[in-house]
Amino acid sequence: MSRRRFKPATASSHWPATGAVFAFPIAFILLPLAAFLAYSFFWTEQGVMSYALTLRNYARFFTDPVFLPVLRQTCVLCLEVAFLTVLAGYPVAYFLASLRGRIRYILLMLMLVPLLMSYVIKIYAIRSILGGHGALNRALLWLGLIDEPLTVFVFNLNAVLLTLTVLLIPFAVLPIFLSLERIPRSLMDASADLGASATQTFMRVILPLSLPGTITALTFVFVLAIGDFLTPQMVGGQSGFTFGRIIYSQFGTAFNWPFGAALSVILAVVVIAAIALGTIFGRDRSALK
Amino acid sequence: MTRDSRGNWFLAGFTLLVFILLYGPIFVPIASSFFALKQGVVNWQQPTTLAYVTLASNEGILVALRNTMIVGVSAVVCSLILGMASALYFNSGRSKGRALLQFIIFLPFLMPPIITGLALLIYFREIDFDRSLVTVIIGHTVFVLALVYRTLLVRLQSLSRSLVEASYDLGASGFQTFRYVLLPNLTSAMIGAGVLAFALSFDETMITLLVTGTDNTLPTRLWAMMRLGFTPDINALVAVILALTTLMCLLAARYLMPRESTGT
Amino acid sequence: MSTDKLLLELKAVSKSFGSTNVLAHIDLAVRDGEFITILGPSGSGKTTILRMIGGFESPSSGQILLDGADISPLPINKRPFNTVFQDYALFPHMTVAANVGYGLKVRGTKNAEITDRVSQALALVQLADFAGRYPAQLSGGQRQRVALARAIICRPRLILLDEPLAALDVELRRHMQLFLKDIQREIKTTFLFVTHDQEEAIAMADRICVMNAGHIQQLGSAHEVYYRPANEFVARFFGDNNLIEGRLQETVDGIRWIETPLGRLACAIDGQAGVAAASLGARAFAAFRPESLSLTPTGHASENATRGCITALSFAGAHTLANVAVDAAEPLSLRLRLPSRVEGVAVTPGMIVDLYWRAVECRLVLV
Repeated sequence: MSRRRFKPATASSHWPATGAVFAFPIAFILLPLAAFLAYSFFWTEQGVMSYALTLRNYARFFTDPVFLPVLRQTCVLCLEVAFLTVLAGYPVAYFLASLRGRIRYILLMLMLVPLLMSYVIKIYAIRSILGGHGALNRALLWLGLIDEPLTVFVFNLNAVLLTLTVLLIPFAVLPIFLSLERIPRSLMDASADLGASATQTFMRVILPLSLPGTITALTFVFVLAIGDFLTPQMVGGQSGFTFGRIIYSQFGTAFNWPFGAALSVILAVVVIAAIALGTIFGRDRSALK
Repeated sequence: MTRDSRGNWFLAGFTLLVFILLYGPIFVPIASSFFALKQGVVNWQQPTTLAYVTLASNEGILVALRNTMIVGVSAVVCSLILGMASALYFNSGRSKGRALLQFIIFLPFLMPPIITGLALLIYFREIDFDRSLVTVIIGHTVFVLALVYRTLLVRLQSLSRSLVEASYDLGASGFQTFRYVLLPNLTSAMIGAGVLAFALSFDETMITLLVTGTDNTLPTRLWAMMRLGFTPDINALVAVILALTTLMCLLAARYLMPRESTGT
Repeated sequence: MSTDKLLLELKAVSKSFGSTNVLAHIDLAVRDGEFITILGPSGSGKTTILRMIGGFESPSSGQILLDGADISPLPINKRPFNTVFQDYALFPHMTVAANVGYGLKVRGTKNAEITDRVSQALALVQLADFAGRYPAQLSGGQRQRVALARAIICRPRLILLDEPLAALDVELRRHMQLFLKDIQREIKTTFLFVTHDQEEAIAMADRICVMNAGHIQQLGSAHEVYYRPANEFVARFFGDNNLIEGRLQETVDGIRWIETPLGRLACAIDGQAGVAAASLGARAFAAFRPESLSLTPTGHASENATRGCITALSFAGAHTLANVAVDAAEPLSLRLRLPSRVEGVAVTPGMIVDLYWRAVECRLVLV
């Protein structure tokens, strides 16, 4: 009998079972990521791979006048998307959290159902709404705001911005809703009891307490937006170039895998930085007791 | 929350607007699917079910649908088995190895799908593993594993540790404890996680595009069709998919919602 | 009730979690058929003892013997013991009957026999009509009884009870104490009962094992630990003993004298070999209970007496507690317990009283 703390003899405490549990994640998550990281240090020229480690891919990224501006532009775009979704999502989350009983969860479910709808179809549908014959132009024509259909809504960065915002709103609503839901009603009663107006209660009690959820929402949406290459590919046209599209093209038309891997590593660094920032600023200070 | 009713009406109106924004892109194609299409413009005066007839005879779509089902079911089964094993292992004690395992499982969920997809693409090429539906299944399993694992672990941790101890105390073996005590209490979490995983797999596009060979799943097929310009049966397909998805959502909700009380 | 035959022995059992020593060198012998209670404050290691016997933890060193044989290699599910858990640990997805029959089912007992024995066990705990219910539909006391029925159905050699009454309200707890005691008498099985409630221990146990900080402080009958505390911890843990420190003097006719700020006090030492053997001048406490103090002479051959002033009274229903300030070499306060009457107790604050107590109710506790 071992002198260690006794564990009930479940299957998982045996070495073969432990090995089996680790096998799949190591074989199909860890090793692929390692291979991918290694690739970013390889080099290819005219279809010939060189497996000698080099920093040339990274050097190319920082020196070529194309890539860095696209990355910056993409980051700005995704930040805009994140702020727009929070701007739209906060009032919705606030309204849902203010409801009582079953209706609040039914509406929340309804808010999340579109997430499970085909992503590709939604992009396509939004594109057709934004397009020349689409619902948006018709509405504007009908309102008399414009005389002929506008083409500024599709096949450019505006289109990417609008489409991503519509697609990602539910991801902003959910974390904000969860943080609002956790605020006890008694805090609002206490604030009112102490003489605060509804606005003061919101600004001084609710907003600070829901800040962690709001920051989570920003991080969440930003990460999802920056990793997306489908939306820009479909509604971005020639001018709506984003970082994700460039990466994807390295594995398609440009066929330069090592360089694509290096660009993806840079994308991963941006994502990790975003998550880290979100974690630092979104830490729930009131929970640290 | 606020007792200011004007404010509430404003919020309700705003929420309605956002809902319209979210559901518009779903209902426009469904509505169009029942009308004739002329040069890419819907003719609202001409209702027809022609789109559905075309859909039913579109060989490519049907094959893609079948592939999607195969991939989805396989990924659900694989992720449930792996997720269950990992959750049981993680819950059986504390160690650095357990924390590491959990971290690895969460990685594909934290990283953008394009990175997971590319990593697998490069890996499969390096180990000379031909791309096929099998690679797609692996990719989907990697993608949904974190969610399945997390769902099962949360349910497992909500069970009192003394339940397992009580079972051993009463003479049950490890397998009997799993079979009679843990499994019945995990069933609804397994169904809920399975349905959710299926729904994610059903719609997974980015990883699939990268790791599939010549086989198409429904989303990649749609992706290809839409880049070439669209046909009316796409709208019909959207309607069919929405119906399926809604059904899955209702199922997931049914099993993941907290139970009001045990038994009746 | 209990025989002198030993059922279970703990020999020099120690347990540490990391660098924390939870139990140090525990020796404990459990007799077949007795109701033994392990009593101690939280963190005293009492639950760890129970969990090691059950097999949920293994000792860091030492042995646990059943009928003289080491059971360390036996896993939980092979030990002939069953546990009643603090949170009951009833399987929420099974009916009461399925919960109770679980131990038989996993042993492959035939269904007909399971049905029979489940109804017997449920009848024993007076829950025959609840077989088809689920745990969530039962009250706390009923769940407690299901847990008990589930533990006794496999006819274990020993039943381990881990503070099973802690979650019940006072009234129900009293009732369950008597109920458990009755059941134990009826099924003639050894009960090892862990609690932090001294009244509960006194009410139920044949023997009490008092624990503190990982050590056994005293093992004996309720009478013994109550009236002859082995050390200061036990003396303070039970009731609110008056403890007066002093130095031991000679023994005369079975009475040992101690010099204290209250003067020379006479103390009985029967059954306390350690005290009898202690050297002259050794430091010790004279321990006597608030209810042992009398306002009139006891008429006993050897009695102690002192004079003091009532400083405070607190009414506690059946009795009233009084604080008495004694003007001794150093200021001392004694606790006095008097029966309450409608017209009040015999004393009022400020009154000067004489206190008397017999030597047999004054015990020595070595420091």
